[in-house]
Amino acid sequence: MIDPALFEQLKSKIEEDASVRKELDQILDDLNQHVSFTQGVLSRIHSTPRSKYAPLLGQVEGGIKNEIETIGRLSAFASQYPYYKYNHKWQRMVQDAISTVILCAWLGGLSSESTPGEVGRLLTLEDIGALFGVPVDLKDRDAFHITIEEYLLGLINVIDDLSRLAVNSVTLGDTAMAVQISAFIKDLHAGFQVLNLKNDILRKRVDSIKYAVKKVEDVVYDLSLRNLIPAPEAQ
Amino acid sequence: MSGFKRDWSGNAKKRDGPKPAQKAVARNAYTPMFETLRDELDQHHDRRERLVKASRDITALSKKIIFSLQRVRKIESQLPANIQAEIDSRLTEIAKLLAVIAPEIQGINRYRYSRSLMCLEELVEALTFAHYLRTQTLVSQDELAPIVEDLSRQGATTEDAVMADAGDSAENRPRPAKTEPPTVSLTQEDYLYGVFDLTGEMMRFATTSTALTGAMASGSAAGDGEDEPRSIVQDMHHLGSFFEMLPVGKGNRLAWERKLEVTRQSVQKVEKLGYDRTIRGSERPKGWIPDLSAGDQGPPDEE
Repeated sequence: MIDPALFEQLKSKIEEDASVRKELDQILDDLNQHVSFTQGVLSRIHSTPRSKYAPLLGQVEGGIKNEIETIGRLSAFASQYPYYKYNHKWQRMVQDAISTVILCAWLGGLSSESTPGEVGRLLTLEDIGALFGVPVDLKDRDAFHITIEEYLLGLINVIDDLSRLAVNSVTLGDTAMAVQISAFIKDLHAGFQVLNLKNDILRKRVDSIKYAVKKVEDVVYDLSLRNLIPAPEAQ
Repeated sequence: MSGFKRDWSGNAKKRDGPKPAQKAVARNAYTPMFETLRDELDQHHDRRERLVKASRDITALSKKIIFSLQRVRKIESQLPANIQAEIDSRLTEIAKLLAVIAPEIQGINRYRYSRSLMCLEELVEALTFAHYLRTQTLVSQDELAPIVEDLSRQGATTEDAVMADAGDSAENRPRPAKTEPPTVSLTQEDYLYGVFDLTGEMMRFATTSTALTGAMASGSAAGDGEDEPRSIVQDMHHLGSFFEMLPVGKGNRLAWERKLEVTRQSVQKVEKLGYDRTIRGSERPKGWIPDLSAGDQGPPDEE
């Protein structure tokens, strides 16, 4: 009925698949550790006044350096296998890594000679790819890359985080920050409206942006009511 | 849940319809970036939609092949002519669909759309079942893959032929450049899950053929060179153990275990059938068996 060779062949293929997954899990464990640390450091922006960002961002950049190194390892290993066979394993983690990088750069970190660090810089998908040293939105060959969905989902995480920062920056007396965040989030919200979304995770997350917009608008409303908005940025 | 989303001020939001003019005009620094990403995402969504549509058709056709095969009454090297004809016509249709989807699922896109291509499992099921009924063996993935590739190639050529027929100047129209058309490849998952489903079809086949011919389906004695022809009960046992011994596929453990459970049940149903045949088969008067000429070749042999 069944050729014994067939059994052996399938068995070894399944075993190979299992060992690939195991290896991936190990790399992803490392990545998880670095991403969690970086996220943890970043969470301190909510209690740090803008004048003290520099040392904090320096620490974040240290975490990002580890992320870059681990994603490099992931890329090298995963590129040996069909990308979409395993990409569900790292999607979440890569998204989170992207979030840390976007947020760090937006706060003025990750600067270079050509791009001075200033608050409000948005890294594009291409910037992210360049930073991590991996291709983005690959279509012509099968290798590790960062997908559009990962970038957009990572960006939405940053929006959530910034809406929180708007509240906390006001507490710290930095009302200009709240106003800047409001403008940024509104622009991104409008940007996301341009997308034609299907009924999937991306759509669900995009739908949540409006709550961040509302949260920040409420903050700005409170400020304007009390004439607390600094003059140049007013409305 | 209501059918539409509201924005935070409570106004209904329309997503799919045309955008309100005011929003369409409001551009900002990030609009171009989002427009580029939108175009990329649209390509992906459109492709997936096309694949899902074709996949549904291929699944339906494969199921029809399986129904035709379930009208076979015994295992023999040649399927009854009428059934073979039905299958061939379905396969021609499938081939055309495969040729259409083949270019979409090359390289990196093969696994990207795996989940939209459940039809391949169904096709594997139909093809392995046909193969079993002809040869009483399980076709391997290496043997099956070229068959599916051939199908997609055939589909590509018949499509050309149809187009050529349509035009009046069919003969002198230059043929398109002879480049190898892309083919549909099978993944290991397509194959394994298809074979899982095969056990269900074998169970149904064993049940109907035993009920209608009065004998357990088995190979022709000459075919195997063994003393007694192997019966489908043994084949089911063999296949059941085959899956039990394989390491659990890590990719989708849940689906794997569900399929394995169904396989176990199928094996046991056929076992029961074999037992019934052994214990009660001899009590049946010979003439009792309903005569359905397709499969009847003299009195059923008693064990």
